Amino acid sequence: MFATYGPMFLMMLVAITLASLFFIGASTLGKKKPTPEKMMPFECGSDSSGGRHLKLSVKFYLTAILFVVFDIEAVFIYPWAIHFKTLGWVGFFSMTGFLVTIVVGLLYCWKKGALEWEK
Amino acid sequence: MIPVEYYVGLSAILFLIGGIGFLVRRNVLVALMSIEVMLNATNLALVAFNRQHAQVHTGQVLSFFVIAVAAAEAAVGLAIVLSFFRLKRTVRSDEADLLRN
Amino acid sequence: MLLQAFAISPLLMVGIGAMLLMMAEAFSKVRGGLALGAAAVCFAGVACAAGVWMYGVETIPGIDAFSPWLRVDRFSLFFDALLCLGAGLSCLMAGGYLPEHNLDRGEFYSLLLLSTFGAMILSAAGDVLTLFLGLETMSLGVYCLAAFRRASARSSEGALKYFLLGSFAAALLLYGFALLYGVTGHTDLQGIGDAMAKGNIRNPMAIMGLVLILVGLAFKVSAVPFHMWTPDAYEGAPTPATNFMAVAVKGAAFAMMLRVLLTAFGDPRSASWASGWPPALAWIAVITMTVANLVAGRQESVKRMLAYSSVAHAGYILVGMVATMHSATQASAGVLFYLLTYTVSTAGAFGALILCGRRGAEAVTYEDLAGIGRRHPAAALPFAFFLLSLAGVPPTAGFFGKWFVFRSAMEGGFYWLTIIAFINSVIGAYYYLRVLVFMYMREPAAGAPVATPMRSGYVTAALILSAVLVIALGLTPTKSLSVVFQAAAIFGG
Repeated sequence: MFATYGPMFLMMLVAITLASLFFIGASTLGKKKPTPEKMMPFECGSDSSGGRHLKLSVKFYLTAILFVVFDIEAVFIYPWAIHFKTLGWVGFFSMTGFLVTIVVGLLYCWKKGALEWEK
Repeated sequence: MIPVEYYVGLSAILFLIGGIGFLVRRNVLVALMSIEVMLNATNLALVAFNRQHAQVHTGQVLSFFVIAVAAAEAAVGLAIVLSFFRLKRTVRSDEADLLRN
Repeated sequence: MLLQAFAISPLLMVGIGAMLLMMAEAFSKVRGGLALGAAAVCFAGVACAAGVWMYGVETIPGIDAFSPWLRVDRFSLFFDALLCLGAGLSCLMAGGYLPEHNLDRGEFYSLLLLSTFGAMILSAAGDVLTLFLGLETMSLGVYCLAAFRRASARSSEGALKYFLLGSFAAALLLYGFALLYGVTGHTDLQGIGDAMAKGNIRNPMAIMGLVLILVGLAFKVSAVPFHMWTPDAYEGAPTPATNFMAVAVKGAAFAMMLRVLLTAFGDPRSASWASGWPPALAWIAVITMTVANLVAGRQESVKRMLAYSSVAHAGYILVGMVATMHSATQASAGVLFYLLTYTVSTAGAFGALILCGRRGAEAVTYEDLAGIGRRHPAAALPFAFFLLSLAGVPPTAGFFGKWFVFRSAMEGGFYWLTIIAFINSVIGAYYYLRVLVFMYMREPAAGAPVATPMRSGYVTAALILSAVLVIALGLTPTKSLSVVFQAAAIFGG
C-alpha cells in the first residue's frame, strides 16, 4: 500500500505545506493599507455595477440541453467504433438505425426553430 | 486493489444522500439534482458489481444506458421546471399547491 | 430475417410511424389530419399484433434472437394490442379535444406514439436494460403530455409532481435491480429468477433489492401510499393525455410488474406468504382500494374522481397479482382480462367527459354535469354506460373483469382479501352513481354557467369503438378469456 501510494502522499504533503506557507507569509509579513478602491471587487479598474445574479436568456438553456442530449450519443458510438470489425453487418445496421433516429430528432429540432439563436 | 465492498458501500451512501435530499429539500432544482445523484450511485454500484462478475460486461453496458437516459430525463425535467417557473415565479415545491385532495 | 421483422412488426409500426409523423408535422404546412394519422398507426399496430398472434408467434424461426432483450411471445403481443388500442383511442379523443380547447399542436401525437413505443418495449422487456429504457421512454413522453397545457399553472404543477416522483421511483427501481445484479450476476429477468430459485432470497442484499423494486413498481402503478402524484397529474393534463396515462401507462406498468414478479421472483420461496412479496402486495392492495375509494367519494371534480377511481382499480388488479402466488397462469389471465375491460371502460368514460364540455367551459365538476342527461342525452348516455361498466354492474365488461379477478383470489384461498375487495367495489359504486344522479336528477342552479357539449366526429368514433368493445366483452367473455389464457400461459404451471 505505502510503496505504491507513498510518493503521491509525499508530494501532496509538500504541496500543501508550501501553499500554506505562502498564504501565511503573505498575510502576516506584508504591509496593509486598505483604501475603499482596494476593497472593491476587482473589475478591471472601473466601478462595478449590477447584482450578483446575471439573468441568462432561456436560449442558453435550450442550446445547452440540446448539446447534452446529442452529445451523449458518443457514449454508444465509441465502443461501437472499437468493435466495428467484430460486430459485422448487424452492428453496422444497428448503428445506422440509431443514427437515423438521432438525425430525425435533429431535423425536428431544426425545423421547429430550436437551433436558431435570433428569432 | 480496493475491495468491491467499498465501492458498493460508497454507492449506498450516495444513494441515501440522494434519496434524503429528494425527500427533505423543497427546492425543485435540488430535488432534480438529488435524482441525478441517485442514478449516479446506481451507476457506481453497477460498475463495481461488474468487477465481481467480470466474464461479461452487462453492468457496465447498463450504466452507459443509464447515463444516456439520465441526460434525457434532465432535459425533460428542466423543461417542466422552466414552464412551472414561468407561471409561478418560484422553484419551491411547497408553493405548488393549486391541486389538493 | 423477414419473419423476425414480422414478429416485431407492432413495435416497428409504432416506432417508425412515430418518426414519420414527426417529420410530417415538421415539414408539411398542412394542419389537421395528424390525429387520424396517429390513430391509424396505433390501429395498424393492433392489426399487426393480431396478425402475428394468428400466424403463431412460437412457430417463427429465430424468434429467440431478440431474447433476453425482448421477449416476443403471446404475452407481449397481447400488451402490444392493448396498449395500441388505448393509445389509438387517446389519439381519436385528442383529434376532437385539442382543436376545441385551442391546444392543437402536432407534438402531442408524436409524443403519444413514442411513449406508446416505450410502453410496448416495457411490456416485452426480458432484461433490466430494455425494461429501464422502455420505462423511461414511456415516462418521459408522458411527463411532456402532462405538461402540455403550457398556459395552465395546474398542468405544469401536476407534471412537475409527476416528473419528480416518477423519476424518483425509476431510480429506486434501478438501484433495486443493481443490488440484484450484485447478488446474482444477471440483468436478465430469467437469469435473476434462476439464481433466486437457489435460495438467494435469504441474502439481505436481495431482500433490499426486492423491497426497492416493489416500492418502484407501486409508484408506477400508482398504488397507495405511493399515489400522491396520480390525481394531480391526471387533473392537470389534457383529458386525452389523462386517458393515455390511465389506460396505456398503467397497463404497461402492470405488464412490467407481472413479468418482474413472476419471472425474477417466481420461485417458491420468493413467491410465498412466509418469505416473499405476496403479503406486502396484499397489504398495498387493501390500503389502495380502501383509501382510493373513500377519497374518491369526497371529490368535487369528476376528472379527479376518475383519477382516484383508477387508483382504486389498481388496487383490484393488485388483488389478482397476489393470487398469482398460487396459480400463476390463471390469476395473471384474470389480471390481463381486467386490464382489457378497464381499458375500454376508462377510455369511454374520459371520452364522454370530453364530449360534455367545450372551449373555455370544460366540464370538470359534478355541478357542470347537472341536468345534462335531459338536455344532451347523446353525451350523457354513453357516460352513464361506461361508468356502470367501471362500477362493475352486470352484464358490462367491468363486471366480468372483477368477477374473474375475485374468483382467482377466492380459489387461492384469500377470502379476507376478496371480501375487502368486494366491499370496496360496493363503496365504489357510490361515486359512479353520484355522477348519474347529477346527470339525470339534478338541474343546474339558477344562473350557473351551463356546460354545452361539443360535437366531434373523432370523439364519437372513439366512444362507439369502446362501447362496442365493452358490450362485446360483457356479452361474450369466453372468447376473450381464451385469448388472455394463451397470453398468460408464458408463466407456466
